[in-house]
Amino acid sequence: MGIEALFAAIIELFSHTGSLYLLAGVLLGLCFGVIPGLGGTTALALLIPVTYNMSALDAMYLSGGVMGATAFGGSITAILLNTPGTAPNAATTFDGYPLAKQGKAGLAIGASAAASAMGGVIGLFTLLLFIPFAKQVVLSFGPSEFFLLTVLGLAAIAVSVRGKLLRGLIAGCLGLMFAFVGSDSITGTLRFTLDTDYLWDGIPLVPTLTGMFAIAQMIELSLKGGAVVNDDTALSQKISGVGEGILSVFKHWPVLLRGSVIGTIIGAIPGLGGTVASFLAYSSTAQTDRDPDSFGKGNIKGVIAPEAANNAKDGGSLIPTVAFGIPGSAETALFLAILVLHGLDPGPTILMYHEKEIYGLIVALTASAIGASLIGIALSRFLVLITRIDVSIIVPVVICISLTGVYVLDGRMFDVLLTMFMGILGYLMIRFDYPRLTLVIALVLAPTAETSLHQIQMISDNNALGFMLGRPVSIVLIAAIILTFLMPYSRKYFTKSNQAKASRSV
Amino acid sequence: MNIAHKLAITALGTIMATAALADFPMDKDITFVIPYKPGGGFDTIVRTFEPALEAALGGASVVPENIDGASGNRGGQTVFRADPDGYTIGIYNVPGVTISKVTNRDIGYDLDQVTWIANLAEDRYAVAVKSDSSITSLAALCALGRPIKLSDTGLDSTSSIASVIGFKIMDCPVSLITGYGGSNDTMIAVMRGEVDATLKPIGSLSKYVESGDLRIIATLSDEEILPGVPTTTELGFPDLAKFTINRVIGAPPGVPADIVAKLAEALRNAQGDENVKSWAKKAKTDLTFKDAAQTAEMMNDLSEFYANYKDMLVTK
Repeated sequence: MGIEALFAAIIELFSHTGSLYLLAGVLLGLCFGVIPGLGGTTALALLIPVTYNMSALDAMYLSGGVMGATAFGGSITAILLNTPGTAPNAATTFDGYPLAKQGKAGLAIGASAAASAMGGVIGLFTLLLFIPFAKQVVLSFGPSEFFLLTVLGLAAIAVSVRGKLLRGLIAGCLGLMFAFVGSDSITGTLRFTLDTDYLWDGIPLVPTLTGMFAIAQMIELSLKGGAVVNDDTALSQKISGVGEGILSVFKHWPVLLRGSVIGTIIGAIPGLGGTVASFLAYSSTAQTDRDPDSFGKGNIKGVIAPEAANNAKDGGSLIPTVAFGIPGSAETALFLAILVLHGLDPGPTILMYHEKEIYGLIVALTASAIGASLIGIALSRFLVLITRIDVSIIVPVVICISLTGVYVLDGRMFDVLLTMFMGILGYLMIRFDYPRLTLVIALVLAPTAETSLHQIQMISDNNALGFMLGRPVSIVLIAAIILTFLMPYSRKYFTKSNQAKASRSV
Repeated sequence: MNIAHKLAITALGTIMATAALADFPMDKDITFVIPYKPGGGFDTIVRTFEPALEAALGGASVVPENIDGASGNRGGQTVFRADPDGYTIGIYNVPGVTISKVTNRDIGYDLDQVTWIANLAEDRYAVAVKSDSSITSLAALCALGRPIKLSDTGLDSTSSIASVIGFKIMDCPVSLITGYGGSNDTMIAVMRGEVDATLKPIGSLSKYVESGDLRIIATLSDEEILPGVPTTTELGFPDLAKFTINRVIGAPPGVPADIVAKLAEALRNAQGDENVKSWAKKAKTDLTFKDAAQTAEMMNDLSEFYANYKDMLVTK
């Protein structure tokens, strides 16, 4: 039944108006992805009223096109300007921007395009494999597993900032403290709201991210002056390497696969999302690499892993959707809202009654990930020129667009002020060398961690540890957390013994 | 005078006549405020009714507008501040707003001054357990020998208020496990087995009953709704049938009586629409119509009912 519906959806896409809506979605998604502050969620939220008069399937093609394309769009700004276009692209800046500075932006964009497309395809194939067991998968992840996954994420942060562990921990703690603001999700107690109801729902993520990355980076650029690429040798190089970038993804296929699998798993967990997925993919790739010191200085693997994870997570986030009709991510939540608008009722029977729409979305997502990458590759020659424009032109444009984007989201002036505040904080963090992503990941993870721990306590009558040890998936996660902490030590041990061997042989 | 002239004058006359007659509801668009994001229960019912309401108002234009935020209070405030000309109406979460009133929580407007127009629909609650659970009745659930674990989104949600008061009436100790992201997540918590049961609207539960994941052990109603499932009234707790979720339509204070009557009548006619009826059947929603006077009376009754349990409502 599944395969038939899949083929039907593919055929449907190329008949009628389907492909047209898909293309419109891809172009829109690329634009929303490229612009800092705007992302897939904003695009879908704005599209909801537009889809009102379309058929349900066309609405799926349009929204699938947007969902699949934003990820790659966001990586373009991440690589060229060190400013992630959407939150999950933050991890791509680590190695993408150094590559651009070395004049190898073409290589990075090529790799990002191919990794996005392949990640999307792998994620959706994993989803298709999982559809028969989707229910069991969702039921084996409860509060206990959610909590342990957030701990795993925080553990990965702690060990990933090698060399500046203390700074990383300080930034992470600051993120956790920001997460305390707002009403307690269980008791409803208001915490640190400074008597304004703006802070009741906590510190919102999009303004924080836009400030931390886009605004902070613009401050940094404008103080430095010149253009992104100032180096004469880099400038004299020809803009090329796109083909090499595409090939590099296939050369490093284990990295691609790892990123995609991590993306799919994290995508399936409601509340974690793409930022965590791409960050975990990046840090686990960097940690297990033979030469971890080359990361952050322009290692192409550091672009492949997060971009693959970011697109694979869309497939993963559909696992809870096909199992129970519940969203796995903010984007799938909006996609379900679009289904409701069309008179469909998402629920546990969604795959029985709305198979056509679900497979339509899956096909649209795959086609969109590939289509966006092709368009991106075709344009990359011109995009790379951005790095040679003087910052006095780039800075005002990016700041205007980002602040407008933040305002558009909810129409609240406070969001704009918060973005500016976070921009200044972010700049200070760049200036004094504190990792910004650590703060952001902590801010993303903390609410889930807090709520789940509180829930486990209540469910287990205050015997949280015993409850966790009674669940097989939880035990696997606990083991993973311990391994994460042991990783740096084991590497140190191996390097030492290798050195010892080397010196003996001499 | 030639024919063209005659036609022109007739046409002009017709236009002027229509303009004179076209007071409410033809002057401009009617804004229908939904105080929540698109996709939820309140949004769905408004969008389902909208085409039928336009037809019932003789082709007037009705535009749904989602104004979410502050637990639905931002939308309520917007309606309250609008001109009382009938061109702004809104849907209200009852008993959510009633409970806020009883507990003196500031919702940014005076609920007693709202012009009530109609009650469109009523949803009822039911208690559900995992489909392969050994618990088959409310009595068995109460006899667990420990507080019953019930899943819910937050302590101030209407279903958790109904749970706390309802089980208190039945003299069963409960422990609410809150913090779940949405009502679907609370039902999945029951399936995972980390809680014993959940109390939710029948319309939400029935999807999971149909898929074979959950089983309803009692409905909070006077009359049998699901074949073979006992009602709380049958079980000897008639007060529990008072817990309902109502979709109530209101307008700013001081809307003229003839406009209220016109809107109420149109909403009543819209209920007869085939699309509305088939949606209600699928969503297991009871299309109980109450006109302006009956709705105002219901709002008073509900205030009195919840005022009895005021001590239990103040959770913060």
